[in-house]
Amino acid sequence: MAKPGKRNSVSDWLGILPFLLFCLAFEIIPILIMVRDSLVDSTGNLTLANYTSLGIPLYINSFINSIKLSGSTALIGTLLGTLIGYVIYRWPSENTREALISLSDVTTNFAGAPLAFAFIIVLGSTGIVTQFLLQYLNLDIYPAFSIYSFTGLVFAYVYFQLPLMILLIIPAFAGIRREWVESAQNLGANSYHFWRRIGLPILMPSLVGGMMLLFANAFGAYATAYTLTGSNLSLATIQIGFTITGEVRHDPGIGLAMAFISLFIMGSCIAIYQVATRRAHQWSAR
Amino acid sequence: MKAAITAKRSASRQASIGQYLVLSFFIFYMLFPIAATYLFSVATRWDRSILPEGYTLEWYQTAFKNIYFGITLRNSMIVSLSSVLLSLIVVVPAVYWVHTRLPKVKPLLDLLMILPFGIPGVVLALALVQVYNFNPISRSPYLLICATVVFTMPFMYRSVSNAIEAIDTHTLTEAAQSLGAGIGPILMKVIIPNILPGILSGSLLVFATVFAEFTLAKLITGAGFKTFPLLLVEYTRKNGSIAAALSVISFTIAWITSLLILSISRRGQRVRKPAPQVHS
Repeated sequence: MAKPGKRNSVSDWLGILPFLLFCLAFEIIPILIMVRDSLVDSTGNLTLANYTSLGIPLYINSFINSIKLSGSTALIGTLLGTLIGYVIYRWPSENTREALISLSDVTTNFAGAPLAFAFIIVLGSTGIVTQFLLQYLNLDIYPAFSIYSFTGLVFAYVYFQLPLMILLIIPAFAGIRREWVESAQNLGANSYHFWRRIGLPILMPSLVGGMMLLFANAFGAYATAYTLTGSNLSLATIQIGFTITGEVRHDPGIGLAMAFISLFIMGSCIAIYQVATRRAHQWSAR
Repeated sequence: MKAAITAKRSASRQASIGQYLVLSFFIFYMLFPIAATYLFSVATRWDRSILPEGYTLEWYQTAFKNIYFGITLRNSMIVSLSSVLLSLIVVVPAVYWVHTRLPKVKPLLDLLMILPFGIPGVVLALALVQVYNFNPISRSPYLLICATVVFTMPFMYRSVSNAIEAIDTHTLTEAAQSLGAGIGPILMKVIIPNILPGILSGSLLVFATVFAEFTLAKLITGAGFKTFPLLLVEYTRKNGSIAAALSVISFTIAWITSLLILSISRRGQRVRKPAPQVHS
């Protein structure tokens, strides 16, 4: 599209040098040093000791909890988000559609501490919904349920997962063209056949990509969990946070090893998301 | 057959009860916690009844009186505005430069810009705290600002690169050059005014994200340079009503910036919506 620059390439590179230096200094190099430090002992010899030390229940459980929380909220977010996204996409009134997309847009920004606290107000032990169920239906959801528990976190996480999925899936629905639906119908396909053979395969990259992004989104989250559960529920990000703040004394090497594993998990999800998004674009490209 | 399809299609213009239910659930789930927080912040007491027992502005007054309210609000403003400024200086020229001079570097830029999405906030904080453990940068607001710029780079990048792609920078640049303009005036008078909507929505998105940012602030500066979200979390453990008042302030700032971004992207040339937000 653009022609190559006329000047020599050295001066061309100078233009993005500040940006590259910034990325190297505050992102790439610190992360690489962190990875290296996680693999050496105090005398500088290569070792896996930090990783083998992770084999105790505290650390294993924190990863299991993180994966369970991210997996379940990614799954719920993908399924509900696709359903709601479809309803929004098919909604007759253009204004309502626009308003709901804007709502999703705005609410993806409502996360972290204020969101966590909003859920305490709604579903806490004296929360509004808790009170309502107790007084009108005589149903005491506590202590079986608690907003400060794993299930509580699921409610709060789904709040920011849902709008994200909706924003990702609506363009995918828009990629399914009217003519394809009509051709399929003319060939005698009912809607089950259409979705099974055409609709779903077209949506698949968006669904997989979306679910991966949601998984990463939940896995990297810290503020919501910190506000809601504090140290009650052990998550990978919460444990890594402890190594920085020193609230709980960990061997520093263990924090580095946990950080590298988390980086690996989240990075892989984003990589799959990227590949899937490219696939999905082949349908939405006009 | 044809009639059946037409009938079916005209029927689909009318939303079914099922569709109404799905949307009602969605709107309720999204708005109820927010509405409840607003109401809780002006309620005298609301822990043993369906509706608040009375209404008061006492919690806001108490919150405003705390000296940390002003300090943390100021600190958050400093971090957010500095991040926007640094992002404008570091990211915007790089995007323009790659687009007009170094198109072959675009894949590298794309990769660098997706990278922050793959790094958990706690991991970035840990890496930075470990490496920059010397004065005066160790655990300083400067380090926090650099971290938040890295973290929000993708937002600025999407907004600005969509805006640049929407205009023909090459022709504009060449036209200005043929009229004798240098690189400075070209940028200031031709390119920037044309991509201003993108720059603005990128800046607003960076501002809103950094203002609400908790993880990096808590782990990099912590008590040494307390930001607004840190104060909020402190209050969630001390006084729920005041925490609600602070949440309302936080939500309101998020609403306003989001609505501004939406109105910018609706107006003029359509700047495509920036990528959805991740990490919370």
